Amino acid sequence: MSPDLAIALREQTPAAPSELRERVAHITAAAPSPRRTPPPRRMLLWAGPVALATSCLAALAVGLSSALDSNPSSTRDAGAAAPLRRLEQQTDMSLGAPTLAPMRASRAGVPAPSTQRAQEVQANVRVLVDDPDELSTATQRALRTTRRLGGYLVAVDYGMPEATEGSATMRVRVPVSRVQAAVVSFSNLGRILAQQTQISDLQQRLDELTRQIRRTKGDKARIAALRRERTQINRRAAYATVDLALTTHEPEKKVVPPSRLDRAVDDATGVLTAELAIGAYILIVASPFLVLLAAALAASRAYRRYADQRLLERA
Amino acid sequence: MAYTECVSELANAHRSFASAAEEHLDDVYRYLLYVTANPATAEDLTSETFERALSRWSRFDPRRGSAQTWLCQLARSTALDHFRAEDRRRRREQRVAEPDRGADLELPDEYGPVLRQALRTLTGAEREVIALRVVLELDTEHAARVLGISPSACTTRLNRALAKLEKKVRPRLVA
Repeated sequence: MSPDLAIALREQTPAAPSELRERVAHITAAAPSPRRTPPPRRMLLWAGPVALATSCLAALAVGLSSALDSNPSSTRDAGAAAPLRRLEQQTDMSLGAPTLAPMRASRAGVPAPSTQRAQEVQANVRVLVDDPDELSTATQRALRTTRRLGGYLVAVDYGMPEATEGSATMRVRVPVSRVQAAVVSFSNLGRILAQQTQISDLQQRLDELTRQIRRTKGDKARIAALRRERTQINRRAAYATVDLALTTHEPEKKVVPPSRLDRAVDDATGVLTAELAIGAYILIVASPFLVLLAAALAASRAYRRYADQRLLERA
Repeated sequence: MAYTECVSELANAHRSFASAAEEHLDDVYRYLLYVTANPATAEDLTSETFERALSRWSRFDPRRGSAQTWLCQLARSTALDHFRAEDRRRRREQRVAEPDRGADLELPDEYGPVLRQALRTLTGAEREVIALRVVLELDTEHAARVLGISPSACTTRLNRALAKLEKKVRPRLVA
């Protein structure tokens, strides 16, 4: 381009007439309108992070709410566990009673009952054996052991629901002085899964009954009743009850309930995973349409540009 | 980015609409005059452009371009809307015959007879790129942004328009 032409074009192009200046000045006298809504591009830029934050918040809310909702169930669990705790407390109390004789620890960890005081002893032993043949042998050995120790069988339940699995439960009573030997012998039948021994002191009640009988004079019926009770207590104190369970399969491991935080995290993760799955599903389903939409938009834009160009060509 | 550029950008960001309008009124008018080749239409469209600019001033982002570029984009959009409306109107009136393109071209007398006659032979698109690159002295990048095309396409279009213009002007100037 020649410089002369450029200069001519610039110099000969007129400036805006004064009338137009006044019109524009009148327009600009008004204050520019404030922005009411953000531009669409900025809204689109924010849409992604906002959607992500919303998803996370929703997941967090669901996780927290489910964790809070789980409180009653944990209370129920606590309620269900209460008798067990009471039982343990009872056991502990009976074991730790000041009137109780000092315990002697045995090889199997079974406390030995006192020989000086009347006590009610109850033991539970759960033993794992290898197979049904071993189960049968162990059951017979347990019965023989009971008889050898001077005890007797109260009840037995032997069953094999499957060829490879079986179980036997029996309740035996053995003299209190030999309960330790019985428990040790039963424990040797296989692998010990659980063992529990409860000892309750009966001596206090016996002493009290003896004092009442001495004090009660003339009332034969009353004396007879007190003596009957004392006899029953002596019987209870003479023999210990042992519950033996033999099984060929290990019990299912106790599922430890997750903590509140774990539940919240699990639920939140689950919600996020579900959201991601839904998002991926929508994306997969919608992707062809999105591609078509993008192509249509691009084509529309190109056509608009072409139409504008044609319009200016004709102008 | 230099400190002075940052300061300049901040200053531009706070520039009032009135000062921007005053500063670039001639640019917008000249641009529209080249595009429409009609002073009256250019005046109307200039006025309409600033009305639009007033309502959209809050969207103006000085980091994305100068006020001059933004106003020229608005002016172009306004002009295209005008041309579309004119096109529809003409079609409604069923003017099947090819319109006399020169009939509406009323370039002002400030142009010399040679230049005015030469400009009448150019299309609106050609006059537009000359207005942006030569008269308003926008650089290629900003002119391309106003036109909505790539810088290389802008340069190509300018070269063709100038070659066409020179072809019309030079023999007469020589004569």
